[in-house]
Amino acid sequence: MLLDGLKNTAIIAVFGLFIGLIIGSLIAVVKLAPIENLFFKALKFLGDIYVALFRGTPIVVQLLLTHYVLFPLMGINIPPVFEGVITFGMNSGAYISEIMRSGILSVDKGQMEAGRSLGLSYVQTMWKIVLPQAIKNILPTLGNEFIALIKETSVVSFITVIDIYKAFQSIANNTFEYIVPYLMLALVYLILVIIITLIVRAIERRLRASDKR
Amino acid sequence: MINVDNIYKQFGKLQVLKGVSCKIEKGEKVVVIGPSGSGKSTFLRCMNLLEEPTFGEVWLDDKLMTRPDPYLHVELIEKTKTYKKMFDARAGESSDAEALKSQIIKEIKEKDLLNEKREGGEYKKAYKEFYKANAIDINKGRAKMGMVFQHFNLFNNLTVMQNLTLAPVKLKLKTEEEAAADAERLLKRIGLFDKKDVYPSTLSGGQKQRIAIVRALAMDPEVMLFDEPTSALDPEMVGEVLELMKDLAKEGMTMVVVTHEMGFAREVASRILFMDEGVIKEENTPKEFFAAPKDERLKDFLAKVL
Repeated sequence: MLLDGLKNTAIIAVFGLFIGLIIGSLIAVVKLAPIENLFFKALKFLGDIYVALFRGTPIVVQLLLTHYVLFPLMGINIPPVFEGVITFGMNSGAYISEIMRSGILSVDKGQMEAGRSLGLSYVQTMWKIVLPQAIKNILPTLGNEFIALIKETSVVSFITVIDIYKAFQSIANNTFEYIVPYLMLALVYLILVIIITLIVRAIERRLRASDKR
Repeated sequence: MINVDNIYKQFGKLQVLKGVSCKIEKGEKVVVIGPSGSGKSTFLRCMNLLEEPTFGEVWLDDKLMTRPDPYLHVELIEKTKTYKKMFDARAGESSDAEALKSQIIKEIKEKDLLNEKREGGEYKKAYKEFYKANAIDINKGRAKMGMVFQHFNLFNNLTVMQNLTLAPVKLKLKTEEEAAADAERLLKRIGLFDKKDVYPSTLSGGQKQRIAIVRALAMDPEVMLFDEPTSALDPEMVGEVLELMKDLAKEGMTMVVVTHEMGFAREVASRILFMDEGVIKEENTPKEFFAAPKDERLKDFLAKVL
């Protein structure tokens, strides 16, 4: 059960972050696109609404709505873990879109101009030149987001997913021994976060290769 | 090769270009000088549409880069409702239809009477047809024009080699092997072949700018645009960049150079433009330009910089 819990926590955090990165990048790129036609204005407006909705309501509420209202209404029947993945992904997408936006803005606009002047399209330049530099700049903040995400996953027990929090809680409830399981729980989260921190630092070091003087 | 036709550029309320026209022929080296804020950089950036002109057209090899400007095409104006109304109302005034026609067209242009939304279907159809018949994909147009920036703008996340090969390969102008071979040749030419695998942040300003120049050359452009290429350099590095530009000029490359380097203008230019307050105030060969300037503002400018 402990291992299952750990697995579920990891699945939700990792895939949630992955979905969040994709959604966040898409929203950020759309919001910053220099296109003024009606279609893009509508897209930008939708992006604003998306961010407002997912930042404006607690993640618990979003989980409950997904699990008990939205998916049953739409007739979607998938394991609750995946509901967790989707909800956390969409939620962190809202936060990451803002992080990504500031990251893209932090890249000198000469980079985009140079790409365009060579005949590359906006999307090509964004993908090959601007986004890699933006991600390098926002990596520490993304690390924070991932850490927040992994800790927040403890609320998935609201929709019957067994994560590490739920696993330790049931051990505590069954043995009437609270001190050790909860201390262990804290320790597990701490170790997870330390591992993430180390991974983020390693990636950062690799990406900083282009800064070496 | 490049035909800039009566371009205007507004940034909000600020009018930066107020009707600039310029034809650049193959092999010409046009140097643009002028005080800061005169619009010379904007003029250059309008050529490859890094800035989109508010009015006017830019043509590259007889292909239209901008949207069509109806004011520049009599045959488009004639299709508008505004023109027809005016013509009908005044048809009795004179018996000379041709004179009336040109009078009305002149008035429409001067008073800016066209309003796209109210000009009717016939005009819109003609406009679209004109656009379709003449327009070139803007990215294709830009690929033919190399641009060198004041602040180099090398791609910081790519090595020198990748900086040179990215665009030609991505745009399928060259295979990876061809692009790599060309890049090596270009890097050897400027003596920086040993830097091919380093990132731009390790280079000096002069090295960066020379690599920026060969990055543009790697696209085999028809014309090179230089936007104050030496202004951000340490004085001792200006020489190496100018030398490379002079070499290019000798090889017959078509060049448009915005610069403050008067020596370069005198030596290399086939024609010098003096820009001030958003217009070309004077245009001449270097000899005449420096020896016998006519415009008052130019005399003043030359007195200060020479």
